[in-house]
Amino acid sequence: MKGILLLSRAHIAISLRERVTLFWFLVFPILLLSILALIFGNTGGEGNVRFDIALVNEDSGDGFSGMIERAFGEMATPAEGGGEGIFSLAIPRSGQDRGAFLEEEMERLSRGGLAAILVIPAGFNDDLIGALTGEERPAVDLYLNRNDPGSRMAGGIIDQVIAGVNREILIRSGRLDPEGEVETKAGWIGDGEERPGYIDFLLPGIVLMGFFTAGLFGVPGTILYSRDVKILRRYWVSPLTVPRYVAGFAIGHIGLCTLQFGAVYTIGRYAFGARLDFARVDVALVLLLSVATFMAFGFLIASIARTPNGGMAIANILNMPMMFLSGLFFPITGLPLFLLALVYVNPVSYLIDSLRAGLGVGTAVMPGSLRLAVPLGWIALSIAVAGMRLRWDVER
Amino acid sequence: MDRTVLKAEGLVKDYRDVRAVAGISFAVERATVFTLLGPNGAGKTTTLEILEGIRSPDAGTITLFGRTLRRVDRAAKQRMGVLLQEGNFEPYLKVKEVVRLFASFFAHPREVGEILAAVGLEEKGNALVRGLSGGQKQRLAVGVALINDPELVLLDEPTTGLDPQARRNIWSIVGRLKSEGKTVILTTHYMEEAEALADSVCIMDHGSIIAEGSPRELAERFGEETVIEFQSEDAPADAIERLRAFSDEAKLDGEMIRLETSDLPRTMEGLFAWAREAGIPLGQLVVRQPNLEDVFLALTGRRLRE
Amino acid sequence: MRGLSSLIASELKITLRDRMGLFFTLIFPLIFILIFGFLMGGFGGADSAALGTALLSERDIGSLQEALKDAGAIEVVPFATEEELSDALSKRKVDFGLLWDGEELRFLYDPARVEGNYAFQQLARGISAEFNLLRQGAVPPIGIREIDAGGIETKGWFNLVVPGIIAFSILSAGLFAVSGHITAMKERRILDRLIVTPMRPVSLLVAVAAVRLAIVYFSTLITLGVSILIFGLAFRVDWAGYFLFVGSATIGTMGLGTIIALLVRRPASASNLANVLAMIMLFLSGIYFPIEVMPPFLRALSQGLPLTHMADAMRYVTGVTEMEPVRFWAITLSLLGIGIVLFPILSRYVVRPSRS
Repeated sequence: MKGILLLSRAHIAISLRERVTLFWFLVFPILLLSILALIFGNTGGEGNVRFDIALVNEDSGDGFSGMIERAFGEMATPAEGGGEGIFSLAIPRSGQDRGAFLEEEMERLSRGGLAAILVIPAGFNDDLIGALTGEERPAVDLYLNRNDPGSRMAGGIIDQVIAGVNREILIRSGRLDPEGEVETKAGWIGDGEERPGYIDFLLPGIVLMGFFTAGLFGVPGTILYSRDVKILRRYWVSPLTVPRYVAGFAIGHIGLCTLQFGAVYTIGRYAFGARLDFARVDVALVLLLSVATFMAFGFLIASIARTPNGGMAIANILNMPMMFLSGLFFPITGLPLFLLALVYVNPVSYLIDSLRAGLGVGTAVMPGSLRLAVPLGWIALSIAVAGMRLRWDVER
Repeated sequence: MDRTVLKAEGLVKDYRDVRAVAGISFAVERATVFTLLGPNGAGKTTTLEILEGIRSPDAGTITLFGRTLRRVDRAAKQRMGVLLQEGNFEPYLKVKEVVRLFASFFAHPREVGEILAAVGLEEKGNALVRGLSGGQKQRLAVGVALINDPELVLLDEPTTGLDPQARRNIWSIVGRLKSEGKTVILTTHYMEEAEALADSVCIMDHGSIIAEGSPRELAERFGEETVIEFQSEDAPADAIERLRAFSDEAKLDGEMIRLETSDLPRTMEGLFAWAREAGIPLGQLVVRQPNLEDVFLALTGRRLRE
Repeated sequence: MRGLSSLIASELKITLRDRMGLFFTLIFPLIFILIFGFLMGGFGGADSAALGTALLSERDIGSLQEALKDAGAIEVVPFATEEELSDALSKRKVDFGLLWDGEELRFLYDPARVEGNYAFQQLARGISAEFNLLRQGAVPPIGIREIDAGGIETKGWFNLVVPGIIAFSILSAGLFAVSGHITAMKERRILDRLIVTPMRPVSLLVAVAAVRLAIVYFSTLITLGVSILIFGLAFRVDWAGYFLFVGSATIGTMGLGTIIALLVRRPASASNLANVLAMIMLFLSGIYFPIEVMPPFLRALSQGLPLTHMADAMRYVTGVTEMEPVRFWAITLSLLGIGIVLFPILSRYVVRPSRS
């Protein structure tokens, strides 16, 4: 027993002292968490989006066209408390020929240097006054690049700004009663009334990813290396047996994953404001099941690969598909059948599903009956194959 | 108490297309140093690996500490210490941690401090294994091999690749073990090592034992003759023929000319006369008793060291 | 010259026999395309969204339906109760939901749909604004005419993504050529043996570069081919520019790989570092998500990444977007320059004796 505990302690100590392992174990998950949280955490939030657009007012005089100009001008100035405006607005310089300016900006738009161009055509003010008395209404021209998501987003925001100007005009002209408007609310499915942030969706994914890479890369890497370099052989000429070694290794591995979880959770909670409660029995069990599944998988890879490099190669091949075809980072929608089949075979899909459901972030998507069966099945398969095939010592 | 610690009977080990160990038997007595001597590829290491429990023999048995086994098991390993020819410790563990770890595998280990002191690594207790020199790593391996105060110690080519000082250290350790009443089995391809350390030697070649006995017995059995060697540089073409006239055997052996004689005075006289006449300086002249190298040469026609 | 050509031949044989490496260079980008393409299809505005509705009141229903019709590319799926709607939403049968009880308009979202919700919320705002106007009989006085000025006929968002993926695969190939391949040779002492021959280390590097170039050209062409055949994408390739750019980019990224290899000694660590950097660059380079939605400092960072510019250049030579020719040449020549400048340094790295 003492030997097993010392082995697990040694396993932990080694992993923490080796810079490369430390990086993959701790630094990488935290790095990925931070990047994704920063990119998506505030999508569209204040101070976080900024589009380059151009505005050309071909009409003369102030009036409504001026109103539109001012509305956009406001959006181009920084919000209170710093940050940038949503738009970086390009307008013709005083005295510049508007036609020439427009041509330049159209060129920029087609080159991807601009997200959108809004043109207020000549005679707009007059046409608008006419519209208020029943004539055909005028339109502004919005030039977009349909295939560019950024351009489309900018277009959407511009739509909103124009809608706001419309509303303003209607209220001022007495055609719209603001008191009579219907309230619009937003709601979220899943537990709780509070809107879960992206970080609450992301954090379980990162936690599981950490366990996943630890199992997929760490396990075969360590075992195959130790075997080939004859670290293991030194153990086998002593009374230490393989089962005890594996026990020590497994306990150490669980310890490492616990440390990893602690680090990732701390960052997620205190740096990014995650509000998840992991201190529940069912959640802890899912976490344990995940560690076990990925560790077993690592042993499976170790028994299939012939060399440490081969093991890493297999792990690399499986890494991306297994992580992304599982709902770990992005939800699974719109996949063709053959990819969907992979999702259903992938134990990660079920584990992340169970974890998120247990934490109250979103609802479970995978079929309930399989949520336990598939990971356990993979564990059984891995143990069976590794038990038969894994070589614990080198040949001559 | 039975004096035989280990007996091997009919050990056979095959690898794909080669028979590494071709049915060998030997016995090792308590408190002796037993050596397997032979060139590379003779089957010594494979035999030792069978005794270490890493390999299972394809045929044959081992009787160890009174029990007959096919494969050396945990109970036997509790009483054995092994120094591998090639092996590593975890580079990122500290020396103390390594010793403590291995100690935990045994029922009756010695104190960590005691082991470190015994191999001269007390100062290095907190150093990482990766920071040790080759010699220090070897000493650590020796320490670990002796961690359970074993009755039987197996050393696989313990001095290969070591400098003379380190080699002498190992030799003195072996001597000490023997004086403590322990039994030592070691493999080597160095003749001097076998001659210096061994109580009994088994010479192996191509998987079989071709001779066994104490070094003295072997030398006497295969070479009653005195051996004379000198540098062959500038020797005339008929040198060997001429030298045969006053010696039992004359041969060109690489850069040296080698004579065997049972009548030393006559041969020496003839040799000096011939040398004076032919103007040969007799560089590096050695007159000696036959050694294990000569035994091997006599038995196989090849040298121990290629 | 004979020595060099036999070096190239042997390097080619080694590379072709290294099935793992070959897999990574050729097949991996394709896997990437498949997975990411299907997964990320919804970002930045789905081409069409499915809106589930539970209209629990008849009040103003005409205006509401009118507003829904005007909302553009929305497919309306009616449900009888809120429970059914929530259930359908969580099972991804609809993208977002709308509840109307006569007093309050409530939109329902799935928090898991991170990349789509932004667009859905925009649609929701549009619908509620329109609804409010219509039920009071007001007509928005200003209309909007949307004109597509993209400049080049392409087959959708995915058409823009694929050149970016090709750029990424060039980046990986170049980085790993040095930080993986060459560093591994160094560790296996193959380079040491070469150094003591009359062959100059530069020749080995040239051989590796030549083979790597051939493989990269081959793999990028396959990727283009697959995208056209399987996904029906359209490209208008400027072949001269294409070959020039792909070549420069490969050499340039090999140069970047040199920097990594110099910093990190063990091949395992070097290729790991290259892996991580490549992945981070992939996220931040605007290939999959528009740069505009990132926080300011990430946006700035993105501009400094080679992959961002490589992706832009790749889109240009495959005829998917426009670019100022000056910028294209600047990118191409910079990459070429980086590679050439770092080559001698790489030679010296190769020559440095490996530690044991």
